[in-house]
Amino acid sequence: MNIKYVISASLLVLLGVILAFLPEKSHTTEIGPDKLLSELNDETRFVSTDKVADNIINGVPSVQLIDVRPAEEYNKFSLPDAINIPLDSLLLPDWQAYIDQEGIKTIFYSNGTVYASQAWMLSRRLGFSNLFIMKGGLNRWIETIMQAKEPDQTASSTEIALYEFRKAAGQFFGGGTQVAGSSTNTKKKKKVVKKRKRKAAAEGGCG
Amino acid sequence: MGPLITQDIIGGQWNFVIAFIIGIGFGFVLEQAGFSSSRKLAGVFYGYDFVVLRVFFVAAITATVGLLFFSYFDWIDLSLIYVNPIFLKSAIVGGVIMGLGFIIGGFCPGTSVCASAIGKIDAMFFLGGIFIGILLYGESFSLFKDLYYDKVPVDKMVFDALGISQGTFVLILILIALAAFYVTSLIEKKVDKVEY
Repeated sequence: MNIKYVISASLLVLLGVILAFLPEKSHTTEIGPDKLLSELNDETRFVSTDKVADNIINGVPSVQLIDVRPAEEYNKFSLPDAINIPLDSLLLPDWQAYIDQEGIKTIFYSNGTVYASQAWMLSRRLGFSNLFIMKGGLNRWIETIMQAKEPDQTASSTEIALYEFRKAAGQFFGGGTQVAGSSTNTKKKKKVVKKRKRKAAAEGGCG
Repeated sequence: MGPLITQDIIGGQWNFVIAFIIGIGFGFVLEQAGFSSSRKLAGVFYGYDFVVLRVFFVAAITATVGLLFFSYFDWIDLSLIYVNPIFLKSAIVGGVIMGLGFIIGGFCPGTSVCASAIGKIDAMFFLGGIFIGILLYGESFSLFKDLYYDKVPVDKMVFDALGISQGTFVLILILIALAAFYVTSLIEKKVDKVEY
């Protein structure tokens, strides 16, 4: 047999053996920059505070809130049922199972929008989907839900409905202006929920 | 890094230019390997010449090994490479037709172009036949549409279906190739040499 065939055959076998014993390549599912850019221009990743409040009140099971602020801020105040994953530990493998849930909408929030956006970007780059950001963060939350401003008398009916919803939600979350709503016992909560549901049709336009 | 065009590292308009250069290289290799002779190609079926099998099998395993190593070095992102879905039925029907054409005409589509280029008249006739076939198929496509689009919902990759790693599969493929080369060389020795 020709010596050059022997050499090339053994070379191929050697390369094959190397390939067989190389560890499984971890395929990075990072999405490409062009796709990320087009998604950044797409505003649908933002969820309004009203929608988040609506989800919490109705206990929508397919939505999870992730608080990306540091743990001490989370302990002082956070939205009900939110999970605390500080931004600096977002990429730890322990947390990834929380973020990477196919059927669950993940909504990030921070005090403003910046840190939540960073969390969104990092997670999106890892190829996770179904990610959203609460627009305006907790600042907007306080502004709109906890301290809802009464609209003018001349405001449109949708604005008034929105205000009604916000006021009710504010009471639900223990803020607002209602005198009776100072304590956060569960019986009160249920009442408020009913009130909101009556307005459901009008409220749908603002979510 | 790669694939270059998919990731816009070089512009999409280069696609045809690169295809043209690779095409010339491909034609050159085919001609070099003697594929412009229909007798050599038919030799696979009669058992006197297995160059076709050797060239294509070597090309396949070389490319496989190369791509996998490139992937390990992060020079290419294999997830961005388009892999055909499995069209099992149409592949079988097409394979039979192609095989018949191969053994009757003595060329496969690529080699017929290659042989026409060096002036083989039978290859030119073969090429004419290809275009008539394309025309007829195109005109009667609606008859074959269901067969054409009949995908099979199974594992796309053989190594996934077998539950082995990609590397192990490549090693097995290399061993099969080498065994095939050895066996066919034995057959070649047994069968009377055809001069052409």
